[in-house]
Formats: sequence, structure tokens, C-alpha cells
Amino acid sequence: MRLKTCLLLTCCALVGVIGIIESGATDVFLEATRPDFQKIPVGVIGIQNAGGPEWLGGRLEEVLKSDIRRSLVFTLVDVPGLGFKDVGTVPNPAFKQAAENGASVLVWGKAGLKAGDKDADISMDGFVYDGGSNEVVGGKRYVGSSSVVRLMAHRFADELVFRYTGEPGIARSKIAYVSEQGPARELFVMDYDGYEPRQLTADGFLNLMPRWSPDRRFLVFTAYRNRNTQDIDMIELATGKRWTLVSLGGLNITPALSPDGNFLAFASSYEGNSELYRLDTRTKALQRMTTHASGDLSPSWAPSGRELAFASDRSGGPQIFLMSADGSNIRRLTFDGDYNAAPAWSPRGNWIAYVCRTPKKEYKLCLITPDGQKKVQLTAGPGVDDSPSWSPDGRHLVFSSTADGKSQIYMINADGKDLERITFTGVHNSAPAWSPAS
Amino acid sequence: MRTTQGFWYVPMMAAVLLMAVPGCSKKAVQSGGDAQSSQQAATQGSASADAGSSGGGVGSNFPDTSLSNRDAGATGGLRGLDTVGGGKSPSEERVTNGAMMAKLDPSQSGRQMDAIRSEQAAADAAGLRDVFFAYDSFAISEEGRQALSRDAEWIKANAGASLKIEGHCDERGTSAYNLVLGEKRAKAVRNYLVELGVSAGRVAVVSYGKERPFCKERDESCYAQNRRGHVVVKTEK
Repeated sequence: MRLKTCLLLTCCALVGVIGIIESGATDVFLEATRPDFQKIPVGVIGIQNAGGPEWLGGRLEEVLKSDIRRSLVFTLVDVPGLGFKDVGTVPNPAFKQAAENGASVLVWGKAGLKAGDKDADISMDGFVYDGGSNEVVGGKRYVGSSSVVRLMAHRFADELVFRYTGEPGIARSKIAYVSEQGPARELFVMDYDGYEPRQLTADGFLNLMPRWSPDRRFLVFTAYRNRNTQDIDMIELATGKRWTLVSLGGLNITPALSPDGNFLAFASSYEGNSELYRLDTRTKALQRMTTHASGDLSPSWAPSGRELAFASDRSGGPQIFLMSADGSNIRRLTFDGDYNAAPAWSPRGNWIAYVCRTPKKEYKLCLITPDGQKKVQLTAGPGVDDSPSWSPDGRHLVFSSTADGKSQIYMINADGKDLERITFTGVHNSAPAWSPAS
Repeated sequence: MRTTQGFWYVPMMAAVLLMAVPGCSKKAVQSGGDAQSSQQAATQGSASADAGSSGGGVGSNFPDTSLSNRDAGATGGLRGLDTVGGGKSPSEERVTNGAMMAKLDPSQSGRQMDAIRSEQAAADAAGLRDVFFAYDSFAISEEGRQALSRDAEWIKANAGASLKIEGHCDERGTSAYNLVLGEKRAKAVRNYLVELGVSAGRVAVVSYGKERPFCKERDESCYAQNRRGHVVVKTEK
């Protein structure tokens, strides 16, 4: 597979075909990305409460089921008539029944207190059965404090995805975002399902548009150091330690680290109007990538690291353009409508999401293939949609929308299904950025 | 394209070096001459960002973000589920949330708002007027020109003063593009003031895009208030 792709790439390069080169990342993923992929039916028997707090089993089960549903790898099958008491019985006629109901995988677990460990007082065992079989084919025991109960279920869900697809799951991914705190806007990070929000900055003014480092250790973002200039800062999540990466004067916005972490692309107006630059994070050398009298901004790296999408108003209203990673070969990608901005290149390489202004002057999400051949409008209805960001598996997008009044954060499948609001606290949540998978 | 890039690259690198090197030494001189400001800078540095990189230009001491520098095993850990059977127990894995331990230091958070209030108070006392823009536009209207004529008179009459123009946008459109549009609005205001004879050096610009709206309702009258070049008196250097 990989060899074939390489040969194709070489051919493309040799004949000098300019256009869409399949990203190197695509051949890592297995059959779950194919359009004819059939979801695997899973029956969740439940998480049995074995001596823990009253809520423990139910919460683990609820989180696990949500994760399985959102994985889009599995589909949940009802397994009526299977109680916890049946699980240990071998041979178990109910398992055969579940298989006849369509479940090709059965999952159950038990959770309780763990004695004699002050840092890890909760324990959860998760087990997997292949449908119709009475034999456990996989299992793991997760231990931790009561503050990581949701994380235990996320971990188990990710391992299920990994077992059946070979891909890392997304259940332990995070979403960074901006939340209004009184008169200020500060950085927050939450779990991918909107739980466990955590405030990262308390500068008392504006911190905007966070993006992750590929190893998930850092966020880069626009920080208003004072009320007169914007810098690009980096914060280490584990420690809260901060560095100023770019302090050129003028507008310094929309930072984006390359997939290998070697370059920071960003927009700066320090030489006049907003242009794109890239900073080598190893040598700290700065290189200008665009030269145009209009505004260039919002760089988004292809997963291969060889190209970037960006927004530019060099044609009037903002439109999406593509360029090579050295700033050469700039070409326009979007031609429909007079306002297309905030591009986000899918981690699978096959789509670029962006904000499109519809003929009714609504700001919605659109998708376009990097060769410009296919375009779809993903969201509809009232409200300003903004800041699309892909899940690490490329199956979902997170974005902000004012559909319910104030700006909140929503998740949607890449096929436009399963729109789900994920922030409910706070008066204004915006600029979501989905982390890479762990 | 390639040629243009090469053409820009050399002088730009030189400019960055020039900015970075004397920027630091100048800062040291200032700090020596003014104990109070140096102390303040140090406090701000520890509370917000690494002080060593705040001299302007590009940071020199931030950590390398390259993936190649990391131990590949450190971020992964996906080993898959154990194969268990015959009554064996699965292996144990410790689940921790250790990657999210940042502590907040809110001690500086009131400072910006205090400064904003003082800028606003000075602007109110001076009777400065704002400029309002049409949807998607950074063109200054006739009404805007009249407002700016008055602002220009004030700044010419107050020799020591400086102005700051904040560019604002309504909530429609993307956060990022509105920052660029806000900067275009602020610069359009500055350019007109310069046309009226105000020295460009006395007019700073900043864009807040749609991030600091004056009015938070979702209707045209509110949007119109937010498409603004807000003129304030700059109270600090």
C-alpha cells in the first residue's frame, strides 16, 4: 500500500502534475475510513457496580456508550435479557442470543473501590467478547482517583477502537477554546465531549485562537500583551509556563504549528498589511511566505506538511487559497460566494473545512476537496458559524455557532449528521481547536 | 514568486536581527535607569510570559516543538487490550490526568481593565468622537469625516497627547478575518487623521475584531454600533 502510494507520488512529481497529492497520512488508516465501511455492532451489557459509590457504574456506562456512539466505528446494539449475573456463566446461552440480535462484539465491565492506594481508589475492569463466543478476548483493569472516572471510560473506548481498527480513538482528545470571563476572554481546555473544562489563562484581557502542538504539550495563541499589540504566545499545559514566540508589533494572529512541529505559520501585519510568515521552531529563523497588498491570514497545514490552505482577500472578499510550504505555487481554491474564510485542512487530507457565506448572507460551514472538485455545505439555519476544527480521526468537526443566541461550541460529523452542542456553561465560548489524538 | 521571496528574505532577516539585538540592550539600559519599571517588568514577566523574549521580534528561548525531539513512547501508550482468558485477570493500567496541572495566577487580571477605563475617561473628557462603518466596509463616511475633523482639532491643540484607534467589527464573519478588517478600519481612520495634518506617530492603531463588542444583541442597530473606529486617548507609552 505504502509502496504503491510512493510510486504514484514519484510519477506525479516526475510528470510535473500540479494538483492534489494524496497526503502521506492517508495510508496509515485502515478500512474504517472507506466509504463502504460497515460499522461494527457492539452490545454494551453494562458496567456493574461492585462496591463503589452509587453513581460509579452508571456513569462509566454512560460515558462508554457515548464514546462508542461518537467513535463512528461502532454502532450500539440493544442486548436485552443480558444481566450482569449472566456474564460469568459459561457457557452462556444469552451470549448466543446477543449474537443473534446482531452484536458481533459484547462489552461489559465492573467497577469498585480499590483498597490500600491513596492515589488510586477506583478500579474498573473492562472485558470484550466476540459475538457468539463465551470467551473473553480482551480486557484491561484501569485504576485511578475518583477525579478520572470519566477518563477511565474514555480510555477503554479508545482501546476498543484501536483493537478493531488499528487507529487511536478520539475519546481522550481535548478541545481548547476561548471563553468569556467578565470583560476578558481566556483560554480553556475541556474533554472532547465538553466535560471537565479547565481555565488556562487569567490575563484579564484577550487571548484568542488557540492551536495545539502536535505532541499536545503546548498551545500557541494570540495574546494581547497589552491593549496595543498582539503577540503569539505558547503555553505548556502541564505547568502553565509561557513563552512569547512572536512579538513583532502590529497584528499577529492565527498561529498554526506544522504537523511535525518544526514550523509555526502565522499572520502578521508588522510590515504593513497582514501577510503570512513561518518561524522555524528549531533555528528561530523567520521567513515571509506571502507578498501581496491585501490581507493574508489563517494558515492551515495539510497533514503531509507540504502545503497550506489560507484565507486572503486579494480577490475582493476573503477566499481560500492553497500554497506550498515554502510559499510558492499560490492558487485560489474557492470561487463560489464572496466570503470564504477560516480554512481547516482535515487530518486525513481529503477535505478542507471553512466558513462560507451563503446567498442568504448566513455564515455556515462548507467542505471542499483540495482539488476543488467537490464542495458541500455542512451546516444550515440561523446563527454565525465560525472556527471549524477537525477531530484527530477526521470524522468530526467542532465549531462555534450563535445558533442558540450566544456563541457556543458544537460538534458535527463530517457527513453533516449528529449535530451536538457541547458547551452549556459560560456566556460566550468560541474558537475551538481539537487536539491531536494521544 | 521564488525570486520575490528570496528578495524579501535577506532584508527581513536582517531587520529581525536588528530589532532583536538592540531591542534587548535598550531594554537593559531602561531597566537600569528606572528601578520601578524594571521591577514591574519582572513581575509581569513571571505572571504572564517569559521576560527574556518580550523585547520585540522573535522569541529565542522557547522550547523546540518538533515531534522528532520526543520519545515516541511518551505520548502514545496505546497497547491495546490484553488477551485474557481461563480466569486470568487483565493487566492494570494507572489512569491519570497529569497533563493538566497548570495553576492560574489572576493577580494581573484587573490591570488591563483599569487601564482601559482610564483611556476611556480621557477620551470622554476630550470629547473625542468615533467613526462608524458599513457592513463589510472600511470606507470612512461623510459623517465619519466630520467626527474625525473634530478629533484632529483636539490632538493638534494638545501637543503632548497621543491617540489610539481601536478597530471593531460586528459578530458576523469569522473571528480571524474580523481582526484583519478591524485593523483596516483603524488604519483608515489613522490615514484620514494624517490627511488632516496629524502626525502619524501620534496615532496608534489596534484591532479588536469582534472580540470586544460595545453591544451584544443580535440586530442591525447593535451591529452598527460595533462596526466602529473607537478613538481614545493613549494614556501609556
